[in-house]
Order: sequence, then C-alpha cells, then structure tokens
Amino acid sequence: MADGILLERAGVPAVSICTGSFLLPAQAMARAYGFGGFEFATVPHPIASLDSQQIEARARDVLPEVLRILGLES
Amino acid sequence: MPSGETTTQNDTPLADPAEIRRAMEYYADRGWTDGLPVVPVTESYLAEFLATTSRDPDEVLMPMPQLNRQCTVRLAAINAALAGCRPDYFPVVLAAWESLTREEYATRGIWQSTTGTAPLLIVNGPVRKRIGLNSQGNVFGSGFRANATIGRAIRLGAINALGLRPHQLDQATQGTPAKYTACIAENEEESPWPPLHAQFGLDPSDSAVTAMIIRSCIHIEARHTTVPEQLALDITGTISRTGALIHETISALVVLSPEHARLFSRAGWGQADLSEFIYTRAVHSRAELAAVGKDAIARQTRWRLPADHPDAVPDQAQASGTPDVVRVLNSAGAVLVVVAGANNAGVSAVIETFGPRGGPPAVVRVADPDMKQSERSGNTT
Repeated sequence: MADGILLERAGVPAVSICTGSFLLPAQAMARAYGFGGFEFATVPHPIASLDSQQIEARARDVLPEVLRILGLES
Repeated sequence: MPSGETTTQNDTPLADPAEIRRAMEYYADRGWTDGLPVVPVTESYLAEFLATTSRDPDEVLMPMPQLNRQCTVRLAAINAALAGCRPDYFPVVLAAWESLTREEYATRGIWQSTTGTAPLLIVNGPVRKRIGLNSQGNVFGSGFRANATIGRAIRLGAINALGLRPHQLDQATQGTPAKYTACIAENEEESPWPPLHAQFGLDPSDSAVTAMIIRSCIHIEARHTTVPEQLALDITGTISRTGALIHETISALVVLSPEHARLFSRAGWGQADLSEFIYTRAVHSRAELAAVGKDAIARQTRWRLPADHPDAVPDQAQASGTPDVVRVLNSAGAVLVVVAGANNAGVSAVIETFGPRGGPPAVVRVADPDMKQSERSGNTT
C-alpha cells in the first residue's frame, strides 16, 4: 500500500493489490500516509498457498479493476 | 493480620468514583488502551516521569518511518504512565525502547506482520531489586507491578505512539498473550552463571534491559532426569519443532529454572556449553523436513517450502557434505541462556525468538537515577 502511494506521488501510475483479508489494514496504511481515499484493488484470500494456475486466474479476475483505477478502458 | 495493616474505609483516597470511571471510559472510547483500564495522565504526573531522565522529551527513541510515526521520550513517558508504571520505572522503559530499536525487527515492520510477535524484555542488575521486578516464582505470570506495567508500557506505546492497533496496522493473525506485557528479571541470585548483561560485556553491577521479539513461550516440564545430556536433548527437541522452522534457521532463548541451571552447572556445563550442545543436536533429517514440506527454501524470502515448489532452491545443508542433516540453528550464538523462576521444580521455558540471529543481543544499560545529569548520557553498550 505504501509503495503504491509513494509511486503515485512520484508520478508513476500504480495500483496496489491486496487480498480482502487486508482491507482494513490497507485502509489504515493509506490513512497513515495521508491518502485516505487511495483506491486499491482486492482479490479473494488466500494468495500464498495458491499454485501458479490459480495465481494467474486471480490476476485475470482483478485486471479490469486495476485498469479502472488506472483510468483505462478494460 | 496485625492491626496496623488493617485497611479501613478511612484509608481510601478522597475521589469521586464516577469521575474516575468517566476518565477511564474517556481513554477507552479514544482507543488509547490495550483493552484494560489505564491510569489517567496529567501534565504534572507526566513531569514526574520526565524528571527521571536527562533526555530531551522530543528525542526520538524509535523511528517508524513506514508508518509516518515515531516514539519519543515524551510519548514513551505518557504511555508508561498510562500503563501504570511508577515514575521510577521509567529509566527501564527508556532502555527497553532503546533495546528494541537496536534489535531492529520492530523498526523493520515485524509489529505490523501477520506473524503476531511480541517484545520480551529481560532486566538485569540492581534495578530489579530497586523497583521490585520479579525474577522468581511466576516470573512469566501476573502479580508484580513493575513486570506487568513495564511490559505494558511498550505495548501501549506501540498502540498509541506508533498507531499499531489490531485490525488496522497491527495485522497479527492470532498474536500472543505476551502482547499484553512480557517483562522478566533474571534470577541472578540463584543462577550458577554470569547474568545475561555480563555475558555481553557489561559489569554485573550495571543494570540493563535486553529486548527480543518473540513468537511464543513454550513450557518444558522435566523432573525426570539428572543427566545433563538428557535434559539438554529434551530442550533441543522443543527448539527443533518443525512448526517453528519457518525460515532456513531459527533462534531461541532458553529460560532455565534455577534447578535446571544447577543440574547443568553441577556437571560442569556453562551457558556456552549448553548453547553449543543444542546447536549441534538441533537437526532434522532431510526426510523429516520433506514429510512436512520444508525440505527446501524460497529463492527470495528464504522461507522453507517443499522442494517441488516453483520458487524452491536448495538450503545450505543441501550443498554441504552432509545434505541429509539439516541444522535448525545457524550457530551456537543463536541460542541464549538465562535463569529465571523459582528454585522449586524442574520447569523451564523455550522462548522462540524472531530471526536467525547468532549475533549479540541488544543489551542496553539502564541510566542510574542516582548518577549526575551529565553522566547519564551515552547509556548504550
């Protein structure tokens, strides 16, 4: 979350992604950086125990949301 | 009870209970507590804490730049007062913060981690007696104000100064009961060995705090043997458990009861001998690690995982001359040994400390309140 905010502030478009389990900590981190409205994408938990095909599916599923936050057409 | 110790209603201080409750609820409503009531702090009460140190109230004790927060001397004092510390405990609290900062895992972000660690403080030297720190029976338990509140002062500082509230920036999956408070004193009087701070270069007449980030505290009840190798292997088995083996290697603090320490001492063992024994015997076979999916390590994080995982690379043992013998510890220095608890049974503890370690712990001298102001600065080892 911090990396996403710092990249945006450095002028590099960025979208932070976390699992839904980290929604509240992610929002707290955004507030800690003075960017309470920072938009980010969430994917279903977990990630760490998925195999590569499941990870790719997560990435495909979240891509439209990432593009929306970036302001691009999906 | 002698008549002079009888408590009567006339001894109770004059205060409006409703006002006391209102103050307690105010702190709770603001989220400034660990869930338990705190002591209201006024400017004049805060001044009593700050008077025990010559340090600038605005001096930063622990920076936490990733959270845009820091713990200063003043914030440490406020939270020590909230925690129920007496002002004369504050030099120990200051040394604890300094030790935690030097220890580095907290400032690297471990207090935000799902791992759910807690800081453990070990206090050595004359300050233990001066402020009533317990080093004997129930040393990890309740009942002693100095132990209870000094440990709690760190937790409240983490919550209030650093913003590490659960469900927010503290993302611990389960945490540990030690997150309420974890502060012990070494039982130097009943130890056959040098105290922890003297093992690492301080004079035994110094007072010191050594902080460690811990995962858990595991109880070892071993009344069955007087053979040092058997007891040492029993302890080693607890340290070696695969559930603790998250990274390639781990570390531990062994807190021996005086009875266990003397068993080793009578056989001619020092603390370094016990550490060396544990280091050499804390091993798993490759097959044991394969059975729990921990026979390799991740390329980037060096966390253990199955050898057939796409990120897996061989561990260091795999490249050694004995690939089927995997050490749990990177050196004898990864096991520290202290003595605490009552001298009444063969009960000890293994503290699972965070990180591979092997280097010296962060031993920080407690500034002596009797010293002149000019002598108090530069109180680290």
